[in-house]
Amino acid sequence: MIYDVRHLTTVQYAGLVRLARFNLRLKPAPWPSQTLQTYSLTVDPLPWTVQEDSGPYLVNRSRLTLRDPISRLSIESRFRVEVLPPALMIEPDVGPSVEDVRVKALERRDLSPACPASYLYASPLADSEPEIAQWSRGFFESGRPVVAAGQALMSAIHSEFSYDSKATATHTPPVEAFRKRRGVCQDFAHIMIVAARAHAMPAAYVSGYLRTMPPPGKPRLVGADATHAWVNLWCGEELGWIGFDPTNNLIVGSDHIFTAMGRDYGDVAPVDGVFHGGAGQTMKVSVDVAPVG
Amino acid sequence: MNRLQDYPVEVDAGDLFRHAAGDVAAKWIAVSNALCDLSEEGSASIQDQVARQIQDLGMSFRITGDADERSWPLSPMPLIVGAEEWRGIERGLVQRANLLEQVVADIYGSQRLVEEGALPAAVVTGSRFFARNMIGLQPRGNHYLHVYAVDLARGPLGQWRVLADRLRLANGIGYALENRLAFSRSTGTLLSDINARRLAGFFGELRGGITRDCQRENPRIALLTPGRFNQSYPEQAHLARYLGFPLVEGRDLTVSDDRLYVRTIAGPKRIDAVWRWIDTNALDPLTFDSRSAIGVPDLFDAWARGGLEMANWPGAEVLESPAFSAFLPRLCRRLLDEEPLLPNVATWWCGQRKEAEIVSERMDELVIAAAFGQQVEALKGVSPVPAASLGAKDKAALIEAMQRRPMDYCGQEIVHLSTTPALIGDDFVPRAFTLRAFVARGSDGEWTVMPGGFARLSSSGEMLTTLMGEGDLSADVCVVDDAPAAYQAATALGGVPAIRRGGGILASQAADNLYWFGRYCERVEMTARIVRSILGGSIDVDGSGGRDPEVRRLLVNILYLWGAISARTAKLPPQQVCRTVLAEAELAGGVSKLLENIRSVGLSLRDRFAPDFWRLSSRRLPPLEAYRPDAVLRQVHELIERFSAMSGLIAEDMVRSPALRFLDMGRRIERAFSVCRVSRQLCRSEAQSDALSVLLDLCDSQITYRSRYLAGALRDPVLDLVLLDPDNPRSLVFQLETLDRHVAALPTLSEDQLPEQPLREVRAVLAPFLSLTIDAVDDALLQDTEARLLSLSEAISARYFLQYEKSESPERDNLLA
Repeated sequence: MIYDVRHLTTVQYAGLVRLARFNLRLKPAPWPSQTLQTYSLTVDPLPWTVQEDSGPYLVNRSRLTLRDPISRLSIESRFRVEVLPPALMIEPDVGPSVEDVRVKALERRDLSPACPASYLYASPLADSEPEIAQWSRGFFESGRPVVAAGQALMSAIHSEFSYDSKATATHTPPVEAFRKRRGVCQDFAHIMIVAARAHAMPAAYVSGYLRTMPPPGKPRLVGADATHAWVNLWCGEELGWIGFDPTNNLIVGSDHIFTAMGRDYGDVAPVDGVFHGGAGQTMKVSVDVAPVG
Repeated sequence: MNRLQDYPVEVDAGDLFRHAAGDVAAKWIAVSNALCDLSEEGSASIQDQVARQIQDLGMSFRITGDADERSWPLSPMPLIVGAEEWRGIERGLVQRANLLEQVVADIYGSQRLVEEGALPAAVVTGSRFFARNMIGLQPRGNHYLHVYAVDLARGPLGQWRVLADRLRLANGIGYALENRLAFSRSTGTLLSDINARRLAGFFGELRGGITRDCQRENPRIALLTPGRFNQSYPEQAHLARYLGFPLVEGRDLTVSDDRLYVRTIAGPKRIDAVWRWIDTNALDPLTFDSRSAIGVPDLFDAWARGGLEMANWPGAEVLESPAFSAFLPRLCRRLLDEEPLLPNVATWWCGQRKEAEIVSERMDELVIAAAFGQQVEALKGVSPVPAASLGAKDKAALIEAMQRRPMDYCGQEIVHLSTTPALIGDDFVPRAFTLRAFVARGSDGEWTVMPGGFARLSSSGEMLTTLMGEGDLSADVCVVDDAPAAYQAATALGGVPAIRRGGGILASQAADNLYWFGRYCERVEMTARIVRSILGGSIDVDGSGGRDPEVRRLLVNILYLWGAISARTAKLPPQQVCRTVLAEAELAGGVSKLLENIRSVGLSLRDRFAPDFWRLSSRRLPPLEAYRPDAVLRQVHELIERFSAMSGLIAEDMVRSPALRFLDMGRRIERAFSVCRVSRQLCRSEAQSDALSVLLDLCDSQITYRSRYLAGALRDPVLDLVLLDPDNPRSLVFQLETLDRHVAALPTLSEDQLPEQPLREVRAVLAPFLSLTIDAVDDALLQDTEARLLSLSEAISARYFLQYEKSESPERDNLLA
């Protein structure tokens, strides 16, 4: 599938903001099943400097500095991307067991940005939580095939939790959403990550997009009008990272567009930054994902 | 005589003293005898004498969870280590420092150790301090490590072992210095009598080591602190003062064109190197944790592009994880081709299958520790737990957790600590101890070990994990030579420094704090004087005469107008008002609140104040036992005397630097404001003579007036004295002229020689008073003066202080409104 994606962020500040500096993580990082064909970033007002680099995890980062005072900001990210369906048919009941993956993840001699060892431990926004560990106990028996285990966990989150955009905010800790049994894609992804890591499974947070309009005859996916988030589980050397979308109870295929992967939301947040002055801001985001063939 | 004769430890128990060779043992005895003699000769016990020194040094600390600082517990009896034993430790530490340096360089460089299987990737990534952002970056001088602290334990057979490596914070390094100062000040020549090695040279080397890796020849090195609420802030402030490093917080700093600057009253000044006391994760909110409020945006760019030297290099603390101990002995052989000279505690990391099996088989002989020093599910707290001490249920839970996430745990051999004599009361008692040693890169780039360190004597015999726990004692560590050292540097830090004057740079934040410190002090003093005047009538000698009720009402109204009391309080009878004023902690202008502000701002100025001054300013008011006018008056007198004493210390002890100018500007502007305010209020009184007399009291000008005029208090003579007389240090004009001098002496930003805004403002306030006689001074002029003072204060703040701080502390604005 080829998609055109337009992601528009506008921020309105209550007062003048000086020396604003932002990190944007909007440009899709390289990912095996994807080819980025074009990309453009438009910022208004025009920044004083823009620095591009690849971040510490699988993420592209643009650093903007706006030297002159601003009261509003708009950021438009546009790109065309080709997404291929997974090369291997994913069969939940074949492939390595939970125990195999646990051992392999610890043995692998790899410190690269996508190395499983980097996604094994608690991270700032996905701290270990005994409650979640306890709840997820049944999913990761040692002998169970890892994809089946991941799928069972994903389905459990999907069926036990309700999608509710009012229940949580960006910085709600996963355990709070867990106790409420409510939240949005970010909360579900974090809960699934905490649960998987409690059993020593490498689990990563993925940010990206969903196609806005479903193919004929299929339901519209939840989370399509904003940036979306799901979970990558490392399923051994051969299968590598496999995407699980607990919000839609789907193993990730060509309806998902990958932007970045990190330990949790903090590593891949689309926009963050610092500035002086002007307390209070309102941010609006609109996303449009259109298939072009 | 031998005071240690009855020391109750057998020769073979591994005690540091009992184990000492003959000549070193003689020094133990010499020191113990000298300490007991000092106790007997002096008017106080040696413990009290040491405690007095500690108080003078302003040493204090906080235990996690404490709101207040505690005074520092130092045992007078030092640990004495002979030169030969120390040489072994020294060589071992230098070897370990070299090893750690190579391992860090590999992790953030070629990563060959992981690639070749010598180091599991998951041991690196398990640390929350592993900073992926740092991969591929190299420090200018190729030194990732500059300062290294290490906890050592001495076993019963006298063998030393490494318990923990500390690369993030060298906590204790300042306390080691202070312990030595307190000890040497209490004991005269004792240290040189036993040929104890001096510490000063080590600190000179530490400074030289950072200096040599900087770009500029005379670099400015700053100590970056998380702020005054940090547990080890007193230590950081002391170190900064001792080393002559500016003590800076993140908000003092700014990065521009990949260089770091401190914002000072004379504009931004470049900083070449930072000795950081902040975790890597908090250093730069744009690169690491975006929630960090104590870091500096873009700081990463400064060091990554070579504009800034960092000690230690960010991310170096990844090696602090206990799990690393499992690999360091092998890495030592691999990287240095040497056997480790100092073993570390034997460790098995459970992230490896074979090691996990060993730990599970030998579980009861081991302690189980969190592999990465952070709390994990099945262990309460971060201290290692002896598995044998666990009940059946806890143990089962631990085993289950270790199966589920084996990489979070490691097993370690149980370490037994040997003891050292501590002087408790009049007796020497054996206490288990650990020693924190410090290693730094010197001016030649090679490692140098502090000849001594910081010892902790445990009250419980348990393993010591934090710096100081409840009931623990600290002790100095003396390394002694057979003969006096051939040459001992005379100056504090070795070498003869270039002569210089002035107070160094003044950060905008510090200037701001000094200014408000001055204002708060002056406000409290004036409030105290008003309270004294209100009460004055009620205990007059002739009792019945007393103060005019209307004047009292005016005084109460002044208190209300500047927010020292609430509207409700203002309606109470004057005597009750006075009692409430002192206790008022809710209102921004309440005395208790102001004293709290003085304490809290004073804390952040600690590196600039002499301990006497600091102690005086941070003293709390004792609670008022009962309401009696004389009890309130006693407190008021105490306050007035305290601030007089502080003024004396400021006048006599503080160098005439910009720092002093800001402190004094704060006092002057506040005093000018009060003089206007009280003059205007009291001039409205019908009872002129009593009101004017009160005005003279408030301006401390009663005696001058009486010597100058025979008549009672009359309007023009009184007002001339308190407003216009330039020789009266309490008069309005005196304040304004002093402000003029201060502002004129401050650095300017541009070179055009034009007066800056604050100077123009101060001259505008002063000008009318220089040309008028007292009969022309009216209420309108004083009101206008108040408004101009407000605008002057704003001009000072806009020009010299950090701007965006203003919105955070709105209560400050109320003071002038």
